[in-house]
Amino acid sequence: MVFKLAWKNIHGAGLRSIINVFIIALVMIGIIWMQGMYAGWMRMAERQSREWQNGDGRYTFRSYDKYDPFSWDKSNGKIPSELQSLVKNNEAVPILISQGSIYPDGRMISITVKGIPYNQKVLKLPTSELKDSKYNIPALIGMNMAKSSHLKLGDVLTMRWRDIHGAFNAADIEIVKIMDTPEMEVDNGQVWIDLARLQTMKDAEGKATLIVLKNSKDISFTSADWRFQSIDDLLIDLHNIMKVERAQALIMYAILLFLAMIAIFDTQVLAVFKRRKEIGTFAALGMTKREIIRMFTVEGMMYAMLASVASGILGLPLFIYYGTKGWKMPSSYESYGIAGLSDTIIFYYSPQMILSTIIIVILITTVVSWIPTLRIARLKPTDALRGRLS
Amino acid sequence: MPKIQIETKKMTKYYPTGEGLFAALKDVTLNFTEGEFAGIVGPSGSGKTTLLNVIGSLDTQSEGEVIVLGKEVSKLNAKESAALRSEHIGFIFQTYNLLPVYTVYENVEFPLLLLKMPDAERQKAVMDALDWVGLTDKAKSRPTQLSGGQSQRVAIARAMVKKPQIVLADEPTANLDTENSMNVLETMEKLNKELGTTYIFSTHDAKVIAFIRRKITLVDGRVDSDVIIG
Repeated sequence: MVFKLAWKNIHGAGLRSIINVFIIALVMIGIIWMQGMYAGWMRMAERQSREWQNGDGRYTFRSYDKYDPFSWDKSNGKIPSELQSLVKNNEAVPILISQGSIYPDGRMISITVKGIPYNQKVLKLPTSELKDSKYNIPALIGMNMAKSSHLKLGDVLTMRWRDIHGAFNAADIEIVKIMDTPEMEVDNGQVWIDLARLQTMKDAEGKATLIVLKNSKDISFTSADWRFQSIDDLLIDLHNIMKVERAQALIMYAILLFLAMIAIFDTQVLAVFKRRKEIGTFAALGMTKREIIRMFTVEGMMYAMLASVASGILGLPLFIYYGTKGWKMPSSYESYGIAGLSDTIIFYYSPQMILSTIIIVILITTVVSWIPTLRIARLKPTDALRGRLS
Repeated sequence: MPKIQIETKKMTKYYPTGEGLFAALKDVTLNFTEGEFAGIVGPSGSGKTTLLNVIGSLDTQSEGEVIVLGKEVSKLNAKESAALRSEHIGFIFQTYNLLPVYTVYENVEFPLLLLKMPDAERQKAVMDALDWVGLTDKAKSRPTQLSGGQSQRVAIARAMVKKPQIVLADEPTANLDTENSMNVLETMEKLNKELGTTYIFSTHDAKVIAFIRRKITLVDGRVDSDVIIG
């Protein structure tokens, strides 16, 4: 009955109800849209990370520390025999990492040299270009690297590296491909050459620093020299960035919700004030104060319920657009080096996210609707009937 | 012998004021029996509305006893007094107090929703009540679309739809012209006779006084006279 009465009051309140529902619906759309963006960003960053860099996890040589280039020459080992068949079947790809420098136009730029088999199919890198060369070492770089070091296709430049014994050596490399990759970690400061060639150059035949897996599910290999890192371990930095972003977004949600709740609170305060006589009449007709409070609270809650439906209708075109066409990030974002920010973000709206947003907004609206109605408990029916506040 | 429905024994009601307590009612002792058509008359501030509010369990006395349908009003908790009003007492107000967002039908239906009456029975009761007051054709109208007389007749239908034992009417004709006042009074008198409902009015309207069968005069919160007319 309370729902029926609340519905009638909402229906009867006309424009006031429409405005309240509209405001809450806008907030819901805003929150779902933003959450969809973060979820989409996360999914895309994960996908890109899998496709371009980390596969489904990897084995890393035990002493490898990506932040300590001076240790890299020693941070490699023989590809374990247990993983050889995976490499042969293109189920895994070994990568050898070395510190190096290039000298384009007399400048010196520190780089990371990475050796990867030209015929690998695990990562999206266009490594087939590394196979043939007339006389120089074919090298692959990313667009950002090309831009920052002023390199272009066909450039020949000197590269210096150190072998595993600590001896320096140098040779000319030729830029045979400039790849467009959204994954900044395979682009910035990276020069990719064929693995076999780098192994020879470093006197590290059969050795690798990383072994990236296409599918880690059925692999149980363990070794003291190689530690397994799951995709979740490898994405920990990304997850941390996302946590910070979500925390910032929470502040935005709170502000949006606060504004909507002011509207609801205001409506309820006004309703209790304006409808004093009505409250007195309800009491005279036999409603208890608790029932009257419940009715007013349900009215507020129903605004949020109606807003859920309205946000579905009003927000659907927006959600569909960003869920299919996505949001192209400005090109300047590429230089941030944050995974996923260099491509079009396709928004993702999970049912759990939508449902939890709706439930949270309904709960908060209910509480905010309830607080002003507590005044009814202090209102004497005889005063209310005269249109007075006790 | 008609059954006593309402008893007040040495009932006093105080209100706090800036200068202390103000006695709105003083030592009021009255009995109302089943089927009465009684009027409480007196000037403004004589305590008429206060008396109706206490009888209707919207307020409680400060001293003395008020027994309505066998229940001491001041001893009822909020739920019990709401149930007393919901089940046994109908209210009619000077300003009609119709619920503005509801239609005439919904206004009349409201007390029955509180009583959780089944749908079919409820619909019949509402249409019967509207028939009593001659407003079946206005069932879908909103209160704002009605005249004062029509609004008060809707209020009567709302008070009567649950067939209460007691109807308390606070200045029911104060906002109506003569023709509408007569119309409303005739309607109430007819329902009093047909359904045996006890009607207690507060009024200082001469037209009402002409209809009532018992006249209780209050002066400064005291019963000045209690006269059976005709």
